[in-house]
Amino acid sequence: MPRRLRITIDYNRCVGSGICILTAPNVFRYNDQRQSEVIDPDGAPEGVVLEAAQGCPQVAITVEDADSNERLFPPADLL
Amino acid sequence: MTTIQDDLLAPEVIADPYTYFGQIREEDPVHWNSRWNGWLVTRYEDVVGVLRDHDHFSSDRMASFVLELRPEDRDRLSLLISYFSKWLVFTDPPYHTRVRMLLNKAFTPTSVERLRPRVREIIQELLSQVEHKRHMEFIREFAFHLPVIVISEYMGVPPEDREQIKEWSDETSRIFFIRADEPDRRERSQRGLQHLLDYFEPLIHDRRRHPRDDLITALIQAEERGDLLSDEELLATCTVLIFAGHETTTNLLANGLVALMEHHDQWDLLHENPSLVRPAVEELLRYDGPVKATFRWAKQDVELQGKTMREGDRLLIVLAAANRDPRKFSNPEDLDITRNPNPHVAFGHGIHVCLGAPLARLEGQEAFLALSQRLPNIRLADKPREYHRTIVARALKELWVEW
Ligand code: HEM
Ligand code: SF4
Repeated sequence: MPRRLRITIDYNRCVGSGICILTAPNVFRYNDQRQSEVIDPDGAPEGVVLEAAQGCPQVAITVEDADSNERLFPPADLL
Repeated sequence: MTTIQDDLLAPEVIADPYTYFGQIREEDPVHWNSRWNGWLVTRYEDVVGVLRDHDHFSSDRMASFVLELRPEDRDRLSLLISYFSKWLVFTDPPYHTRVRMLLNKAFTPTSVERLRPRVREIIQELLSQVEHKRHMEFIREFAFHLPVIVISEYMGVPPEDREQIKEWSDETSRIFFIRADEPDRRERSQRGLQHLLDYFEPLIHDRRRHPRDDLITALIQAEERGDLLSDEELLATCTVLIFAGHETTTNLLANGLVALMEHHDQWDLLHENPSLVRPAVEELLRYDGPVKATFRWAKQDVELQGKTMREGDRLLIVLAAANRDPRKFSNPEDLDITRNPNPHVAFGHGIHVCLGAPLARLEGQEAFLALSQRLPNIRLADKPREYHRTIVARALKELWVEW
């Protein structure tokens, strides 16, 4: 079983670049304000979710292990 | 209500865009400027709304440019038109989406983070060259060099070619600065571009055969779902990176230093708390960022704040006004390096948000960290400061400092 992820978006940082949505369309989509929202944290393999989070120019996406709460992205030195 | 004068290049507007665009933001937030022949969009909510809405607003600057040209000029300037049409910043989806996704990986915060030690080193070298003099022209002797060295090294351009490339890049940029006294600026722009293309073409060919650990190699190898950048797209990208990465970052450093000197308590705060440098750079970007405004074109009739824009209308998206909108920021006229959150729009917003933002942030952080630690007594020299006469850039001509 792959681990379950918790994905959060910081709306003070998200500028609606669409990059995460293009990277993982089954995980993210545009909301009504044309910022990103999570539709399904398990919609893509963990590697793709992390790629989407890393691709965010604004470091707006946080990915955690939903059970252990371990933060998988971003590392402290990017914030 | 006072009347709004429409000369965007009037001396008082160039000297202090915040008072001018602030008045428009409060009195007529979506303002028709008959002299510039377009709409000014000034409130945060509307600026963000337009920049997020690429279905209704286009970035295709070349489309309107070409329409204004006589047929014989179109032929003469075909090289310029063909390459600028491939510059990310002037394109719409789907072309934009494709190329942006191919470039994105090389510019993520994670990717540029590994340049930090070298950026730090370059800054220390630059400061070592001037420290003993106890004064300098900050732009020419410091702020100009940092972004040029960083992007050139990252791209894999040899140091001895930097100056030449900068000159060609400046020539190329002439097309964007409307100056009545320069009738041949389009031709000069095209000539500059031709030089840049002639320079990068063999460099790209070389990296195809001999891959290196540099950005040009990374762009050649960049791949998304089997898709690659064509040779023409690679060339266009090299020219846009050289161009976009130069002056903007220089102006972040210069404008930021002025802001901190004029709010000396904030400078002292940074000096005593180096860990504040990240929010400090965000605040400098918000308070007096390098890009005052950008352009969009209405793709169809659309309404904003009760005004009706017609298809083809031109819009000036005034980032400088949005960044001081009291509806979004508390005490927007104050410089507060601890401001957090700070959702400023200095890097734009939406799909065109600055590709180089993570790199510019990194350079800004390291520069202000080094300056505040190494030259804590730096101060503005008693000389008048003048800004270049442009609508887009907030750019000082010179900045004299001493310590
Ligand atoms: C503090 C420095 C900088 C500022 C304030 C800045 C500002 C901006 C702004 C406002 C835009 C959006 C324009 C629009 O939406 O019409 C933009 C786009 C862009 N910037 Fe920057 N920029 C900076 C540094 C850089 C650097 C260092 C690079 C490259 C190394 C760069 C490359 C680009 C590119 C390629 C685009 C087009 C992105 C797209 O269309 O998807 N910029 N920049
Ligand atoms: S990549 Fe980041 S800024 Fe872009 S839409 Fe996703 S969360 Fe927002």
